[in-house]
Amino acid sequence: MTWTQYLAPLLKGAQVTVMISLASITFGAILAFAAGIARTSSNRLLSGIAFVYIALFRGTPLLVQLFWFYYALPLVGISFDPITTGIMTLSLLTGAFGAEVVRGALLAVPHTQLEAARALNFSKSYTLWHISMPQAIIEMMPAFGNLAIQNLKDTALVSLISIADLTFQAQSMRNITLDSATVYTLTLVGYFIIALCLMLIIRFIEMKLRRGPAFPRSAHT
Amino acid sequence: MKAMIQYGVAILALTMGIGGAQALTLEEVKSNGYIQGATANEVPYGYMKEDGSAAGIGPDVAIAVLKRMGIEEVNWTVTPFGTLIPGLKARRFAFAAAEQNISPERCKQVSFTEPNSSYGEGLLVKKGNPKKLTTYADIAKDPSLKVAVVSGANNIDFLRAVGVKDDQIVIIQANADAPATVQSRVDAYAATELTVSKLAEGGQGVEQVKPFTDPVVEGKPVRNYGGFAFRLEDKELRDAFNKELVEFRKTEDYKKILMSYGLSEESIKAAAAKNVADLCAGK
Repeated sequence: MTWTQYLAPLLKGAQVTVMISLASITFGAILAFAAGIARTSSNRLLSGIAFVYIALFRGTPLLVQLFWFYYALPLVGISFDPITTGIMTLSLLTGAFGAEVVRGALLAVPHTQLEAARALNFSKSYTLWHISMPQAIIEMMPAFGNLAIQNLKDTALVSLISIADLTFQAQSMRNITLDSATVYTLTLVGYFIIALCLMLIIRFIEMKLRRGPAFPRSAHT
Repeated sequence: MKAMIQYGVAILALTMGIGGAQALTLEEVKSNGYIQGATANEVPYGYMKEDGSAAGIGPDVAIAVLKRMGIEEVNWTVTPFGTLIPGLKARRFAFAAAEQNISPERCKQVSFTEPNSSYGEGLLVKKGNPKKLTTYADIAKDPSLKVAVVSGANNIDFLRAVGVKDDQIVIIQANADAPATVQSRVDAYAATELTVSKLAEGGQGVEQVKPFTDPVVEGKPVRNYGGFAFRLEDKELRDAFNKELVEFRKTEDYKKILMSYGLSEESIKAAAAKNVADLCAGK
């Protein structure tokens, strides 16, 4: 086999990697906003749940989380298929790190603005969505970019719960051909290209956000 | 903080409360129209081809036996060798076809079928065999030697049995890592005869030790008997599969599959001569 023959299986794996990465970045972002906002909330129950969630998922290794969801949870009767397990675990991890980014950016909005909002009798949610968030979200973008790329690289671990992603296909190829050098080099190039695309997408979103108000309609209501 | 801990405990209790699962029956498999099988990435016992389909002694025989049972479709999962039994218990698949050696320890965890293959041991070494190794006991004689084994494989038990110390053993994750490991970090790689021969064929700078003497444990040379593994609770399904397997072993088609992967006629006869009950009892 020559290296061109490795490309078809590796590309098939790359598709799975991209799918898992995009899905878990999306769900992770939703979780990040939910948990990040909950952390800044004055409701102690909400804030407490978010705290436990963030602490648990930031404080344990992804590989062990994956194995726990994949091999341990089914023993008590709860089982998800491999793809769901992979996306869920990665989303939860990315969400936990992202929540701290959201919280940090929200806290960075000058307190005087919040006082002014209160003086104008704006509701808490109006203040959050129309005063704090439009400014905070731009500040979150560089950190989110980091997390997205970290997420992409973390997807390699799902190959260990039998998902046929890029790393999994690389291992299979290597198993048949024993040609580690070529297979791993192609795999690295593959991840790098996907990471470049991710960087460009995030750059694009950041530029869009910086150019205009993040929530254009809020300026007039 | 106290409230938080209470919530945490409540969530955990809820999780644990949801009970165990039912046994998988033959009827269920038939009505599904497919069964989920697993194999490890180990040429020639079981592996995934470039096109994503499973091949090897285990998968090929399993496909033929299942066809005889009226199950046409098998969804294959490839998983690291060491996770075959955990994955089976976690209901990730219905059976494992990786020619796992039928050992008393494994019999406590899973339910094996009658042996499907039998195979001896082997050693992969650097070209020219610079340490002049001929059997596992040679490694025990020189404590400075290092030997690699795959995680979860039973070769480690044979190494220990002939006196190899744990600090001489290096655990690797996959057979594909063996040639590079042998060339750089260890003096030998211990695996089954067929695995080593396949690796020696494809790998550069490595060779199979020949002639090789199988390690002698408790007075007799060890031999492995590989079978298919099912969950303990899926007894009915295992029995149905086992019955067809025993029938299939008598056919020429069966011999053809095994010989195409390099097993000798003697090995095939040796497998048929043993039964799973004795192997599980350690006889």
